[in-house]
Amino acid sequence: MIKIDRNKCIRCGACVGVCPKNALRLRDVIVVDNSLCIECGTCAKACPANAITLKKK
Amino acid sequence: MYDVIVVGAGPCGSTAAKEAAKKGARTLLIERKKEIGSPVRCGEGIGEHNIEELGIRLDKRAVCARINGAVLYPPDCGNSITVRSKESKGYVLDRKVFDKMLAADAAKKGAEIIVKTDVTGLIKNGKRIAGVVIERDGKMERMEGKVVIGADGGESTIARMAGINSTATLYDTDFGMEYEMANVPVTDMIEIYFSNKYAPRGYCWVFPKEDGIANVGVGIGGHVKGHAKEYLDAWIRDNKRFRNAQPLAIKGGIIPVGEPLSEMVADGFIVAGTAAHQVDPIHGGGIALAIEAGGIAGRVAGECALSGEVEKKSLYRYEREWRKTREGKMRKRLLLRKALEELSDDDLNALSKMIGNREIDLLLKNDFLPVVAKIASKRPGLIKMAKALLK
Repeated sequence: MIKIDRNKCIRCGACVGVCPKNALRLRDVIVVDNSLCIECGTCAKACPANAITLKKK
Repeated sequence: MYDVIVVGAGPCGSTAAKEAAKKGARTLLIERKKEIGSPVRCGEGIGEHNIEELGIRLDKRAVCARINGAVLYPPDCGNSITVRSKESKGYVLDRKVFDKMLAADAAKKGAEIIVKTDVTGLIKNGKRIAGVVIERDGKMERMEGKVVIGADGGESTIARMAGINSTATLYDTDFGMEYEMANVPVTDMIEIYFSNKYAPRGYCWVFPKEDGIANVGVGIGGHVKGHAKEYLDAWIRDNKRFRNAQPLAIKGGIIPVGEPLSEMVADGFIVAGTAAHQVDPIHGGGIALAIEAGGIAGRVAGECALSGEVEKKSLYRYEREWRKTREGKMRKRLLLRKALEELSDDDLNALSKMIGNREIDLLLKNDFLPVVAKIASKRPGLIKMAKALLK
C-alpha cells in the first residue's frame, strides 16, 4: 500500500496519471483504493513533491 | 439526457463544450474543482501565433505579460541564444481568468456548467459509453449523454474508464514543480535553462508575469532519480537571482512528453487535450494543443450526437482530423526530444557555441537537416544527436 504525506502533497494528480491500476483519484485530496494497489512504486517515483512512500506489506 | 457531456472545464473541455453547443447539441460541462482555472498545473505560456491560428479572443485581463521572445541558456550559462522569431512571441496568462473566460464563452453558446462535481464513473450500454456518474454535494447522480468527451487533463482517468489505455509511463512523462514568485528580476523574455544537474530531461524556466512576479519552475524526466521539488529548490538556492524572491503559490503536475495516445475514440467517447497526451514533447506546452483538439472534438461530438451516429467509427473523424493536422509535427518534436536527452552538459555547452537563433528557428520548424549538417562533424556526442534527428 502507499502512504501519502498530506503536508507535502500539492494535489497535482501526477500519481493518478501514472498508476497502472487506476487505483488513485484526485478528488479534494488524493484518494487511493489500496485493494487495487500492486505496490509498484510508480506513483512514489512520479510525485513532484516527494509526498508518497511505498509501504510494502 | 444530454447530447454531449464534457468532463473537465480546462481550455480543452470548455472549447469542446462551446463548439458542441454551437452545433445545437444539448451540452453539459462538468468541473471537479470548485473554481475553474485554479489551481492549474501549468507555466501559463502561450504563443501569439497560437492565439491567431485558433481565433482566440484574448481579453487583456487574462494576460499577465506580453512576451517578445525567448532566451535559451546552456548549463554553463555562457553562450545564451536569444530568439525573437514570430513563433517565440506570446503571452504569460493568468489562467484563473483565461480559463473562466473560455468556460463563459461555452455558457454563452448554451452549454450548461456544473462545478465542484466529481465524475466517479461512466454509464455503459454494453460497450458503448452512454453518460457519466457524478458525485454532486455528496450525492450520486447519473447523467445520460450520447457522447462523453474526456478532457480531464494529465490524470486521464475518464479515458481509462472508457477502456482506452492512457496511463502515463515514467519515461514518456515529465514532472514539473513551479513556484509563482515575487521579487524576481525579469525582462519581457521567457527564459529556458538546460541543465542535466538541475533539470534532467527537461528545463528550468522563468516565465515573467508583471511587477517582478514570475512563474519559476522545472520539469524533469519521470525516469530520473529524485523529485521535481528537490531540483527546483536546488536551482533556486544556487541562483543569486532568486536571493530575495518569495513564493506566492506552489504548483506542480504531470506533463506527457511522448507520443499522443494510439487510440482517441471509443463508442460514445472521445478523449482530447492533455488527457490524450496531446502535448508538445519539447517545451511541454499544451494549452494551444488542448484548445485545438477540444474544438475538433466538440464539433464532431455535437454533429454525431445530433445525427445519432455515436459509435467509434463515426467519432473517429475527430481523431482523423487531429492526426492529419498534428501527428506529423508532434512526431518530429519527439525525435528532437530524444536527440536532446542524450546530450551531456558538456555537449550542451559546446552546442551553444556552435549554433545561434537561426538554427533554433529551424529546429522549432522541424527543419533538422541544415542543423544536422552544421553540427555533425564536430563532437561525438553531437553526432549521436545528428543521427537521432535523421531517424
